[in-house]
Amino acid sequence: MAIDTGLLTNIGFYVSISIIFAILALGFNIQWGYTGLFNAGIAGFFLIGAYVTAIAITLPAPPIVIAGIPVYPGHLGGFQLPFVAGALLAMLASGATAALVALPTLRLRADYLAIATLAFAEIVRIFAINLESVTGGTIGIILIPRPVEFRPPDPFLNTTAIVGIGALILFALLFVLQFIAESPWGRVLRAIREDEEATMALGKNAFRYKLQAFALGGALMGLAGSLFAVTLVYVEPSVSFAPAVTFSVWVMVIVGGSGNNRGAILGAFLIYGMEFLSVQLKDFAPAALKDTIFYIRLMIIGVLLILLILFRPSGILPEKKRVLR
Amino acid sequence: MGDDSILAARDVRKAFGGIQAVDDCTLSVSKESVTGLIGPNGAGKSTLFNIIAGLYRPDGGEIWFNGTRIDGLPPYEIVRLGLTKTWQIPHELRNLTVLENLVLAAKGNAGEHLLNLFFRPYRVRRDESRWRARAREVLALTQLEGLANEHAKDLSGGQKKLLELARALMSDPPLVLLDEPVAGVNPTLAGTLMDLIERLRRGGTTFFLIEHDMNVVMNRCDRVIVMHQGRKIAEGPPAIVKADPVVIESYLGG
Amino acid sequence: MAAISRSESPPGTERPRWRWEALRPTPRFRRQLLRGLLVALIFIGIVAGLALLFGISIIQYTLAGFVVGTIVVVAAIGLTLIYGIRGFANFAYGDLMTLGAYVALFANLLLGASLPWGVVLAFGVLAAVGVLLEVLIFSRLEGRGPVPPIVASVGISLIIQNGIRAGVGTQQWNFAVTAIQDVVIVPGLGIHPVRGIATLVVGLSFMLSVHIILKYTNLGKAMRATADNLELAKATGIDTKRVTYAAWAVSCAFASTAGVLLGLGSVISPTMGFDVLLLIFAAVILGGIGSPYGAMLGGLIVGLSQEMSVPLLIWLGRPDVIGLEHATAYKVAIPFIIMIGVLLIRPWGIAGRPPAFGRRAFFVERLSRALSRKPTLARKVKRDDIGG
Repeated sequence: MAIDTGLLTNIGFYVSISIIFAILALGFNIQWGYTGLFNAGIAGFFLIGAYVTAIAITLPAPPIVIAGIPVYPGHLGGFQLPFVAGALLAMLASGATAALVALPTLRLRADYLAIATLAFAEIVRIFAINLESVTGGTIGIILIPRPVEFRPPDPFLNTTAIVGIGALILFALLFVLQFIAESPWGRVLRAIREDEEATMALGKNAFRYKLQAFALGGALMGLAGSLFAVTLVYVEPSVSFAPAVTFSVWVMVIVGGSGNNRGAILGAFLIYGMEFLSVQLKDFAPAALKDTIFYIRLMIIGVLLILLILFRPSGILPEKKRVLR
Repeated sequence: MGDDSILAARDVRKAFGGIQAVDDCTLSVSKESVTGLIGPNGAGKSTLFNIIAGLYRPDGGEIWFNGTRIDGLPPYEIVRLGLTKTWQIPHELRNLTVLENLVLAAKGNAGEHLLNLFFRPYRVRRDESRWRARAREVLALTQLEGLANEHAKDLSGGQKKLLELARALMSDPPLVLLDEPVAGVNPTLAGTLMDLIERLRRGGTTFFLIEHDMNVVMNRCDRVIVMHQGRKIAEGPPAIVKADPVVIESYLGG
Repeated sequence: MAAISRSESPPGTERPRWRWEALRPTPRFRRQLLRGLLVALIFIGIVAGLALLFGISIIQYTLAGFVVGTIVVVAAIGLTLIYGIRGFANFAYGDLMTLGAYVALFANLLLGASLPWGVVLAFGVLAAVGVLLEVLIFSRLEGRGPVPPIVASVGISLIIQNGIRAGVGTQQWNFAVTAIQDVVIVPGLGIHPVRGIATLVVGLSFMLSVHIILKYTNLGKAMRATADNLELAKATGIDTKRVTYAAWAVSCAFASTAGVLLGLGSVISPTMGFDVLLLIFAAVILGGIGSPYGAMLGGLIVGLSQEMSVPLLIWLGRPDVIGLEHATAYKVAIPFIIMIGVLLIRPWGIAGRPPAFGRRAFFVERLSRALSRKPTLARKVKRDDIGG
């Protein structure tokens, strides 16, 4: 019985991208679910993580000029660090950036924070597109080396390896997040969410905790970015880090139930599953609808957002109550 | 007088919109005393407490605690310096347990620092068990043992008041501000509470409390300060204050 | 005595503070007119100085700034109206602009109507869409905080944007305006009659009509009251539901016109509105949420700062300075940076009022505390401080 490795490779791709979105959702969950900070710039931290990793682990890439025409602007790189270093650097960069962004904006109202973070993500994208000698411009960074590479290149085995690595990271992350949530630090965050004023009166500097939570969420988004870079083996600024990515993560977290880690992961797999399916079905659709399926899928996300926020804002899975024994 | 005051307010002013809630208020609280703050409704007592605790920033004036100027400092800083406050309407953390509510009032719990969780796990565990033990101690003091694992929202009104007091005592602060500690509490329990306060006072803690219950004020306070329309109008031993015509006027006339 | 706090009137507006002129006599208006003229003179002086230093092309950028600024103003007025009355940031506003442009395009291409008629049609369609959105969605989200309406508006944005992509296609269009040459004012300085002059004229007439509506009509007064204090407005018998519908209609109608102007100035594409959404937000925040006059000022600042930064960016792009690649592409970042600065220092904007417990950004708070009298830990209590 022959196993259709092509189909399995496809499913593997679905799983690895879902894991990446799940990590993004977990990061957003920390920011919104636990501290009520509505980050509209997820794509920005995602981008920073992806590019930092790409720059850290690729081979040197000088500009390519063919017959006097600059074909590829080149990018910063050549450090050839191992993936673990790249991922750690990505988390550090995104986390630090998140802290910097939060410093001036944390005390603002929720909508100001949303606007400011959206502006931040767009500024980051402008830099990624235009700072060509560093980021490779609109083409981006290509030929990113994977942590585990099979020779001769076998898409099925490579994808399986990436899925394995992603799953490992995800489970480790869940474990760490659970540990943090049940820790004294997590308790303070819960208290802040219950009643910020009372918690301040108890002697907690609510600002500092919210800042740390925001930075932690940002670091997770950076981690997702680093995984993204090695899964796709390229990063480009136009589509992968557009605001639509931020909005998709919102849907995932809302669907799964905000404040709930398991729900965030479920939401990621569900919503990305929808995207994945629509791409797969593209081949079966009548010719006229081929490209529009992509857009219809985005419209469905829009409708979902509206319906969810109107009728079921708590999502599918409720938050679990914790008891200190 | 002079150096044995633990808390001093001087010309404190605070207005909300067009209403002057606290109006050039000057008063002081002596160390290791049980000082009462009374006055008709709207006199600005709770507002003053909130200002002292750092929840509001005064428009003018100074607040001194143990030789340190504290007006303008954020609440967590003031708690760190050793001044805690309870709320008139209990602000219990509803979806957390009683024990969690108490442990949160700890000062310097290593586990509350994110990096310590990963780099100093031993100290985290040690601090956490130390503070849990302290919490159980305070629970016993306030007769709330057995409720440790109940969610705070499931407590009765009187129990929530006790929880407020327990939280304020957790870090063994030199000065505790109590906003109507026995309002709505049955007389027996109120008596027990005030006994506890007296015991703690003998142990070195100062209490500054807002109360409307004249029994408590008369029998339990060393000194009483009277506020009216945002300023101090009288102070002294309870018996003297009670007979002061200015004070009587303020309660009748307002 | 319930003193209602008044903040200083913003410099640079020759229009009276919208909340007060119903009660204020004209001497105040004269004062503000004088102040506005002064600012305008200073501005002209600066621009003239720059022109003398760097050449007449500076004025070209200034003009471009005014044109862009006008488009932003028209859009910002609409956005700030809803922000003030419904209290949320409408993230779908950019796509409503896009929709307006496409409706006008549709009228132009399919119905053969001329552009002005297209504008009118877009006006009507978008106004209806606005009311529909309020009825179906946003009225149900009342009282649920600032986040749910933002999420819903994002959903609407996705629907409009991708509906256009799916239905019409992703290619870029242009309005069928005959190719006209720029009108030359001075050698080296030109302005396009449609893209430039018509935009300015339309923008100015919109600003004027907003002013007239707000100041002289009952609807305008009702809008101001509702934006100021919803409960009070209801209590005084204003039909806040109707006011809200009217606000949505006006807001989206303004969006449609801004979209058409934008399409005139550049191209018509599915993302044209969303691409400028943050610019509009910047203008609204700069000017103060809920204040149409603030929106006018904010829009001009946004437009001028964006366009007039171009020569500076070009200079930065020179190899002997920084060698910044694609320097002019960063011009869109300038208004964002200004907006972030405003959020840090004065989040309620130029024409807004600071809230009762106004909180500024972390650093500013720290700085202001450090600069004012700071309690020190070592000072002893003075004897005469403690009363007997």
